[in-house]
Amino acid sequence: MAENNALRVIARLRQIGPALVFGVSFLALWEAAVRGFDLKPYFLAAPSKIFEQFFKNYSRIWEASMVSGGNALVGLIVGTVFGVAMSFILSRYRFLGELITPLAIALNAIPIFVLVAVLNNMYSITSEIPRRVMVTLVVYFIVLVNVAKGLTQVRSTHVELMRSYAASEFVILRKVRVPNAVPYLFTALKVAAPASVITAFVSEYFGGLQNGLGSRITSNIANAKNAAAWAYVLGACLLGLAFYTVSIILESATRKGDTK
Amino acid sequence: MSALEVAGASKIFNQGTTKQVDALIDVNLTVNPGEFVSLIGPSGCGKSTLLRLIANLLEPTSGSVSVNNKTAAQARLDQDYGMAFQQAGLFDWRTVSKNIELPLELKGWDKAKREARAKEMLELVKLPEFADLYPWQLSGGMQQRIAIARALAAHPPLLLMDEPFGALDEMTREYMQGELLRICGETSTTVVFVTHSIPEAVYLSNRVVVMSPRPGRITEVIDVDLGSKRNEDTRAADGFFKSITAVREALRGTHADHAAANAIRGVEDR
Repeated sequence: MAENNALRVIARLRQIGPALVFGVSFLALWEAAVRGFDLKPYFLAAPSKIFEQFFKNYSRIWEASMVSGGNALVGLIVGTVFGVAMSFILSRYRFLGELITPLAIALNAIPIFVLVAVLNNMYSITSEIPRRVMVTLVVYFIVLVNVAKGLTQVRSTHVELMRSYAASEFVILRKVRVPNAVPYLFTALKVAAPASVITAFVSEYFGGLQNGLGSRITSNIANAKNAAAWAYVLGACLLGLAFYTVSIILESATRKGDTK
Repeated sequence: MSALEVAGASKIFNQGTTKQVDALIDVNLTVNPGEFVSLIGPSGCGKSTLLRLIANLLEPTSGSVSVNNKTAAQARLDQDYGMAFQQAGLFDWRTVSKNIELPLELKGWDKAKREARAKEMLELVKLPEFADLYPWQLSGGMQQRIAIARALAAHPPLLLMDEPFGALDEMTREYMQGELLRICGETSTTVVFVTHSIPEAVYLSNRVVVMSPRPGRITEVIDVDLGSKRNEDTRAADGFFKSITAVREALRGTHADHAAANAIRGVEDR
């Protein structure tokens, strides 16, 4: 048993080993370059300095992460709910789908988060709403396009089979279309979760409250505190990673699910 | 009393437009209870359309279809037939057992009764140990057996099959043919079976219905006299080859007519 576990640990190490070695050597090389070429801190901060700043400012980075992450989470949830709801309406009324889907796809392809500048004008300067609306919009279109595809692109054999059972449209929706759309929803979430963090984060560059990760990065750079700015970037990376990881865990938990 | 009766049925798609297709013209077919009837013919002869008229997935343009002495529409509502397609069409998110239970679920059976029947059907298709697996964990032949189990789960008197073994390799295919005969024999199910394969049609059927295209119609019905008990020896029997030749000649007729007509018109028509 113990041997088995040991084998499993070794197998796991083999899997992640190369990535680990690459990451560590990259940081070592970076550190060496900064020291060896005597790069100035305003040009490039050394990883050791960045980690030092990260742990020194840990609680502030955490707070800022909570603000940006909170905005991302609210937008992610609201956008998903609206996106799913709208995809049901579109799959029911196909002509609406033909009207809206091209628009949704086009909006997906352009950086619509620049809209946040306009949204900022609509609300007071101390409001988080513009950022949350922005995240909602981004997530909404990603979820809408994918889930609508899952609801409509069902196999013709399945539909014929259900019709041979004299199943109503509602039953076909419940037994075929919805289960078919579940993997599409999780694919959408895997894309939307990191996108929500990025959007929440970039939205902060367009003014408004100065309490999130994005605004902290700009203010630290403005004050020539380069290593501190990098520490916040690290925080932002970890936040995005956390969102992505949760979306993957959610997906694998429901992979075979829905047996009813 | 017949299991199935098609009387003067025609199906015309896009009637009155330039894209009009005469898929079926004046088709008459009576199938007796317990009989196995194959529909064979070149692409576009309307064999799948005829199957869908019987299943009431399409309405005939004229003529009538009755199943189990009811209208086809009523028979569909009563789930008087089961259906299997070229793609097994199992649902990936349901276990094998839950796939078989689907038609029973739609009939409103309670859980215990459904599970008991699914178990029984899995025994019938000889896959009892696969109940809790998912379809994608099974081979193509196994998936198709599960699809047959699903089609027969509600014990319908009639089974409609649209090239169910078309995607299987030759050896699996012959095995499945034997299994289908055994299963239908044990359950005394009437079968209408669409196929492209002459040996398959002959091996399985009491009667082979030969169809021809443009417009889709029945050109010949060939009785196959190989007895009710068929096994691997049947495939080497004289009667088997005689029937294969008969069907082949009937099919060739449909092509010869076609070629002659083209020669006269002097057009190439594929």
